[in-house]
Amino acid sequence: MSLLELKNITKRYGNLKALDNVNLKVEQGEWVAIMGPSGSGKSTLMNIIGCMDKPTEGEVLLDGADIAKVSDKELTAIRRDKIGLVFQQFHLVNYLTALENVMVSQYYHSIPDEEEALMALERVGLKDRAKHLPSQLSGGEQQRVCIARALINHPEIILADEPTGNLDEANENIVLDIFRQLHKEGATLVVVTHDPEVGEIAERLIILEHGVIKSETKSSAADDAVIK
Amino acid sequence: MFFRMIKGAFTRQWKKMLMIALTIALGASLATAMLNVMMDVGDKVNQELKTYGANINVVPKTSSVVDNLYEVEEGEDANTAYLLESELGNIKTIFWAFNIVDFAPFISTSAELSSGEEVKINGTWFNHHMDLPTGESLDTGIQNLRTWWDVTDGSWLNEQQAGSENSVMVGSVLAERAGIKAGDTINVNAGGKDYSLTVAGIYSSGDDADEQIYGIMDMVQEMADKDGYLSNIEVSAITTPDNELVIKAAKDPGSLTISQYETWYCTAYVSSICYQIQEVITDSVASPVRQVADSEGAILEKTELLMLLITVLSLVGSALGITNLVTASVMERSNEIGLLKAVGARDSAISGLVLTEIVITGIFGAVIGYFAGFGFAQIIGHTVFGSAIEMKPFVIPIVAVLVVIVTLAGSIPAIRMLLRLRPAEVLHGR
Repeated sequence: MSLLELKNITKRYGNLKALDNVNLKVEQGEWVAIMGPSGSGKSTLMNIIGCMDKPTEGEVLLDGADIAKVSDKELTAIRRDKIGLVFQQFHLVNYLTALENVMVSQYYHSIPDEEEALMALERVGLKDRAKHLPSQLSGGEQQRVCIARALINHPEIILADEPTGNLDEANENIVLDIFRQLHKEGATLVVVTHDPEVGEIAERLIILEHGVIKSETKSSAADDAVIK
Repeated sequence: MFFRMIKGAFTRQWKKMLMIALTIALGASLATAMLNVMMDVGDKVNQELKTYGANINVVPKTSSVVDNLYEVEEGEDANTAYLLESELGNIKTIFWAFNIVDFAPFISTSAELSSGEEVKINGTWFNHHMDLPTGESLDTGIQNLRTWWDVTDGSWLNEQQAGSENSVMVGSVLAERAGIKAGDTINVNAGGKDYSLTVAGIYSSGDDADEQIYGIMDMVQEMADKDGYLSNIEVSAITTPDNELVIKAAKDPGSLTISQYETWYCTAYVSSICYQIQEVITDSVASPVRQVADSEGAILEKTELLMLLITVLSLVGSALGITNLVTASVMERSNEIGLLKAVGARDSAISGLVLTEIVITGIFGAVIGYFAGFGFAQIIGHTVFGSAIEMKPFVIPIVAVLVVIVTLAGSIPAIRMLLRLRPAEVLHGR
């Protein structure tokens, strides 16, 4: 059974079809990249996978449970327990330190543990910046705090929306190295990106256009086959 | 973590929080000022109205019945019953003794001037010193009750002064007609005896008293041959405005239930004070001077209503201010709130966080507002009543409850907005 399975997902905003009958499976430990031009439905797909939105039609099975049919309250619980979110804009709480931003995620999940939060920051190379406010961190450092926050509750899927979109090359490489490391450790990654280089690193690259999956390519590391 | 977030919100958003606190402080200060003044205004207005004379008249029971039956006018000699002077001190022993601010006994008789003119001469207390059965002492008399009298010549008769036994004060109309001046000695005949009286002062009262003479009680009792007797007592008391219970009690105190009776008896209604006076003065009927009692009640009610209205409006204004500020704060923090929802915070947890911030700010604002309000109350007290407003401790819980209600009510639109926020919309613009 796939960790995540989207069956005939359609999402409408009024008359606009943001997603049109999308089918997608993500296996445990897989690294999937989703690419596409603006307005192709990437963010909508990300929101649905991230339990921040529900499809108008179709089924979203996460660990076998259909999250398209649960209440908002249950959706919040699934998001808290199973999803780790990484944002292009980082979305750190500006009045909390790097450490506290990581602990916020623990607080709403279970019990804040400063030691564990420090370890998460150490994992992304920011232990020495734990007491700094977001305004005192570079963009790359903020993104790494965001990744530490996404990792802290050991989610089943890490969803990253344009994780390198606001970073320079050096910071982009640091972030991608972290993703590589996570993938090596068995994490399941779904990355939405504009950047072909980021997309190509993934095991599987899905191209979205006008709300439909135009192509699905396995990386050179796999077999390079165009599935659709 | 919760308190770290609260602390972070305060230290990094102190300007916003200060604005909310000041808005709450403004409402709380007005509420405090108005409530303190409202609680104290009764006494203040009553004291002001005491300058308009007595509000209770005590007469002998039979005299009251005759007056009621035959509508006998004042001055007509229908009074054949008297009160006992020896019981006067009992007035200051009733339950509401401290509300009795002044009283004066009266007795009147007719006398003949040397010109042959018949005049009414009243015996009373001017500034009488008396030692009460309770061991306390009291200075009371018409000098306090007839504050509107204008002494146009001479001065008030001073009972404490030696040789004042035969002194009198003469009404201005009579004085002018008879050519009497302060310091003159006038000869009168009363009860078949001649009296030589010294005029201490000429007064103008603007009523019938301008044609009469007022002298020391003992002297007039002697003239009337009624030693130790009084025709009536005027009492000035601080009272509470009447209500439905008073109307019921006025018909028959016996119709009240025990608890109603206790409430009525233990409240300074003019009727309960009258009732208590009747209990201590034998065969007396104490009745309110309705004009004064009614105007006291009416002025008090209107003043309190005005204060209440200002309090309500100031709190509504505060609630609107809080609504704007908190809503603006939530809008500014929509990304943060969206993020908290995205990482799994429940709506209740985020609402609790925001409400805790607002309630703490509210407490801070309420404390500032309370002390500022108390200052405003003193300004109002000194400007309007010329005296300080007493600090009423029970205003504190009232203001606290009002601040909590107003703060929470003002936060409702912001909380509703917060609950509607969807993380996907604020974080991804969807």
